This record gives sequence, C-alpha cells and structure tokens, in this order.
Amino acid sequence: MTEVLTGAQIMCRTLVESGVETLFGYPGGAIMPFYHALPEYPTLRHILVRHEQAAAHAADGFARASGRVGVCVATSGPGATNLVTGLATAQMDSSPVLAITGQVPRALMGRDAFQETDIVGITLPITKHSYLVPDVSELADIVTEGLAIAQDGRPGPVLIDVPKDVQNQKAPYTARPIPARAAVEGGSQTVAAVRRAADLIAAAQRPLLMIGHGVILSEACEEVRALAEKTGMPVITTLLGISAFPEGHPLHLGMPGMHGDVEVNRAIQQADVIVGIGLRFDDRVTGNTAAFAPRAKIVHVDLDAAEIGKNVPVAVGIVGDARDVVRQLVEAVATRGAGDWLGEIRGFARRRAEQFRGGLSPETILASLYAATRGRCTVVSDVGQHQMWVAKHYPYQRPNTHITSGGLGTMGFAVPAAMGVGLARPEETVWAISGDGGFQMNMAEIATMVQERLPVKMAVFNNGYLGMVRQWQQFFHGGRYSCTPIWSPDYVKLADAYGIPAWRVEEAHELPDVLARATAEPGPALVECVIEQEANVFPMIPPGGSLSEPIEAEPAAHGA
Amino acid sequence: MAPEHAVTVLLDDALVTLNRAVGLLRRRQVPVEGLVVSPSGAAGLARLTFVTTGDPAVVARMAQQVGKIVGVRDVRVASPGSLSSPSEVAP
Repeated sequence: MTEVLTGAQIMCRTLVESGVETLFGYPGGAIMPFYHALPEYPTLRHILVRHEQAAAHAADGFARASGRVGVCVATSGPGATNLVTGLATAQMDSSPVLAITGQVPRALMGRDAFQETDIVGITLPITKHSYLVPDVSELADIVTEGLAIAQDGRPGPVLIDVPKDVQNQKAPYTARPIPARAAVEGGSQTVAAVRRAADLIAAAQRPLLMIGHGVILSEACEEVRALAEKTGMPVITTLLGISAFPEGHPLHLGMPGMHGDVEVNRAIQQADVIVGIGLRFDDRVTGNTAAFAPRAKIVHVDLDAAEIGKNVPVAVGIVGDARDVVRQLVEAVATRGAGDWLGEIRGFARRRAEQFRGGLSPETILASLYAATRGRCTVVSDVGQHQMWVAKHYPYQRPNTHITSGGLGTMGFAVPAAMGVGLARPEETVWAISGDGGFQMNMAEIATMVQERLPVKMAVFNNGYLGMVRQWQQFFHGGRYSCTPIWSPDYVKLADAYGIPAWRVEEAHELPDVLARATAEPGPALVECVIEQEANVFPMIPPGGSLSEPIEAEPAAHGA
Repeated sequence: MAPEHAVTVLLDDALVTLNRAVGLLRRRQVPVEGLVVSPSGAAGLARLTFVTTGDPAVVARMAQQVGKIVGVRDVRVASPGSLSSPSEVAP
C-alpha cells in the first residue's frame, strides 16, 4: 500500500520496518520534524541522553552487545559535532552505528546559517559511508541502504544528514522488504590458502592462535575453540578479542602487547607460527614491528583484505569471514597436542607481589565482582589503567561479555556505552567500570539512567590521578606529574543528588557485601573503590619498544 | 628512486565519493602527483587518475583501501612492466 508521508515519517517508518527499536538522541532545531513524527511510532524507544557524545557511545554499546545496528540522532551544528568522538570510536572498533543528523534547510546550506556545519565533511574519515539526503524521494532507500552498509562486511558507522525541509517534504511511501544481509564470498584462493595454513600448523613446534574482535563479530568463538583444541595451539586474545575464548581454558594465555603478561609476549617472540584471526596487529599489540615475533610465520585471517600485510609481514593471508575460514581450518588441520610448548610458556610467567591500600587490589575487586554477579554480567570498561586491569584480571567465560573502546581509546566511553549494552541485554547485569578521570567525562548520563530507568551499575576506580598518564610520567618523564592529579566530587553525595544508591569502598573485606547489594539494586547504582594512588600496570612495553623488553618494576626514584 | 605507478579509479560521479577517495590519499599519506578527475564515458561514473610512487606492495594496499570506499567501482594500478587490479595483487 502506498501512502503519502513526510520525510520525518518516512525515516521513522523505514527504521521500524528495518527492525530498529531503540534510538539514542537529543532534539534540536534542525531535527525537530523527526522528533515531531516520533510519537506516532511507539515501537521506537527513544533514550534522551544528556550529551550527543553519549548517544553515539550508547548506540555503539548497543551494537556491540546485540550485533545489530545502533542508532543515534542529533540536530545540526553542535549536536552533530558532538557525535564525532563516538563515530570515530565506532569506526576504529568496527561497530555498526547509524547516525542521523538534522541539517539546516537546503536553501540555507552553504551560507553559514545558524547551527550549520558540514557534518558529512567533518566525519568523512571516521565513517564507513555517509549521505546528505538531496530529496525526500531518496530518503527511504538511503535509510535502508545505510543500515545495510553499517553492518555488512566489516561493520562501521554510517551518517545520514537530512536537511530540515527534506524532513518536512511529502512523498509517496510503500513498505519495502528488508534486504538480506550480503553474503561474504569465499574466494577460490581460500581453499589453497587454508591448505597452506594447515601445513604450516602441522609443521610448527611452537604455534600460537591470536584472536581479535573479528572472532566476536563473526560469532566464531565455538569454531576457534575447536581449532585450538584440535591442534593444542595456545590462545592469545587481543583487547577486543577478550571473552572470545574462556579465561579458564587450559589453552588460554591472555592479552598480548603493551600490557600483556611476560609469558604471553615471550610466547609470541618464541613462536614459529602465529595464526591471527580477526585482528589487525595494531601497534599496542606488536610493539616495534621490526622486532615482533621474529621467528614466526604469520597466517592472517581477516574479512578486510586491506588489513592483511598492513602492519606485519604475512606468510599466508586468507580473506574471509572468520567463522567460515576457521571451520575450513578445523577440517584441514591434523589433530595434534600442545606438546612441551604450553609448559614452556607457563614457565615464562613471573609472579608479582604488590601491596595495595586496604588490600583493594584490582584483582580482588574484579574477582569480587565476578563472584557477586556469578559471572552473569557484561563488563564495559573505560580507558586507562583500570581498563588494563579489567582486561587482565576479570575471568571472562562467555563470548562478547567484555566491551571497551580499543582502537580509539576513548575515555568517557564506559558509562554511556553501558546504557546501550543494558538495553541490548535487559536480562543481564551490566557493570560500567571507569577511572575517576573517564567517569567524570560522562557522569551526567546518570540522569539519563534515572529518567529512562536503565539499571546500569557503575564502579569508579578512584586513585586521584589520571593514572595511566601519571604512570607514563613516572616512567618516561622523570616523575613530573604535570596536570594528572584530578579532584573528584563526593561520589556518594553525587549519587544521592541523582537519587541512586552508592557506596564508597576502602577495604577489600567490604567488597562482597557492597557489590552484591549494588548488583541486586533494581535501578542504577554506583560503587566508588578508593584504590592505591600510585599503583602501576605491569608489565609494560615502552611505546615503540620490543615485546622482548618489558618494564617489570618501578623505575629508580628520580632526583629532585 | 621508488617506481612510479599510475592509478585509475572508477567511481560514482558524486562529490562525496570523490572527497572520500582523495581524503583517503591525504590521510594515508599517499604521495600523489598529477591528480585528474574526468568523465568516464559511462553514465554516473567518473574516473580519478593519479601517479604515485612507492613499493608495489604498499601501492597495492592503498588500492585495496581505495577499493573499499562505497561508490568506488574499480581500481587499477599500472606499474612499470605490469598492469594489475587489486583483486590480482591481494594475498
């Protein structure tokens, strides 16, 4: 049936018919026709954030947790520019986000009108694709195509900029079928490449599997586990690959790179074959690429052909969906055991003995959190020291239960992203873990949680510093703590002002009770953990250094 | 001196697609000389041509990255003594 609808109604209808149910946004002048139409479509739930950056991060969190496109909406000018950090975060971590922005009417465009910015131009390098809608007749097709582009192939953010008068224009509308998701084509080269990879694995004495975000995106966790178990290959998970392989599995090693444990990085340096699946060998993983894995032949599986060989030389490159390729690999490889290699790697491990005020070590906090939630929890971390502690110490058992900003390293991500994760997983507890720096960037979103009844639990690791920057200042800048001490408000009183429960924890023995009570709260809750002020994340590969040369202890005290 | 390669990109005749392609060259610090945009002869499609220098593998990866842009239909690299498309140089 054909109806005559406004552009705004067409946008809503197309979103509804594409299966979108949740929007994160903030109204303003140039997007008002869309907001005028929105109440006519009650299946679209709109979450009113306190800043558009949070809308983009929440849409990103929703997308990562659900595997569906997360949608955010903003007005022109400042509303649109406030989305930029969130879109760049989504681009770097291959997250399917659709941003809809209002634009000034077409007659005013290019005249520096009130709240006019060239948001398509601004976001070109940080979006997978973008549109400026020239006429209402193209609007429905653009929304449908934009949603498809965001999630097909390697996912990424798409922006649709809609002039206000196009939102008000009328046009006939006919419901259209949702296009099927594009299938990934397996090339004829794949079969031969899989064979070569299987031969390399068979001949290897010290093979390793390194898995990244692509394994989670393609839902290849079961297949990867089968490959690891059939070949005895120990498994390394990159920051965004964490939770793709159970932490307690005998073959699980941990995270590599700048803050990877000594045994993980030494395993890489000793390996003779590395099978990398769905990762891009980012500089935080490799350190100095010239010294990375000097003995290893690398097999690289990635959906994006341009990633293969980009950062490290590759012996066998396989372009394809991780699940399809790993299935083929599982069939092609011969069964073998880990041999002495796993024991050799375990022998590289170093145990650290550190003191933490009140016994409140990151390990203790995260073990208590796991116990309090019985592991039925998705953890969203922010960026900095606590992020590395969460990555290294939380015992992830289920796929895609660790969500963080990896590529862009966006402080302030956790709190708004957790709102999106919570909406995607209403049956599960969601904990946002932040430092005192990142938390203060987007803590205004507590109001969103209260107004929209989003039961996000928040933990703040408060050490009174921008801890990771302070650590770099201690190690590499002679201990000059320039602009890193950071004051915090009284978080318990802050929470009280928002009407949500909060606790301050200073001793480890308080953790089990407080975390259990916070988890049991029906609404949002906040727990501040007052941790050691100058604790460091160890070990650490200096930026640009080799994985073979970790810093494992405090530098000698610096002179005055 | 690094070898020169002539790169020809067939893409949608839309400023946003052209902007994205040229922006990628800037962002990835691709050395570019003699950049020309011209009609392709096919309706709705334009041709972007430029000369770049560098290692053939680096140029091939740049061609793959340009080829990923939505609206780019084809990328060809003509190197001294060879003519190849990204699908042929992909691993």
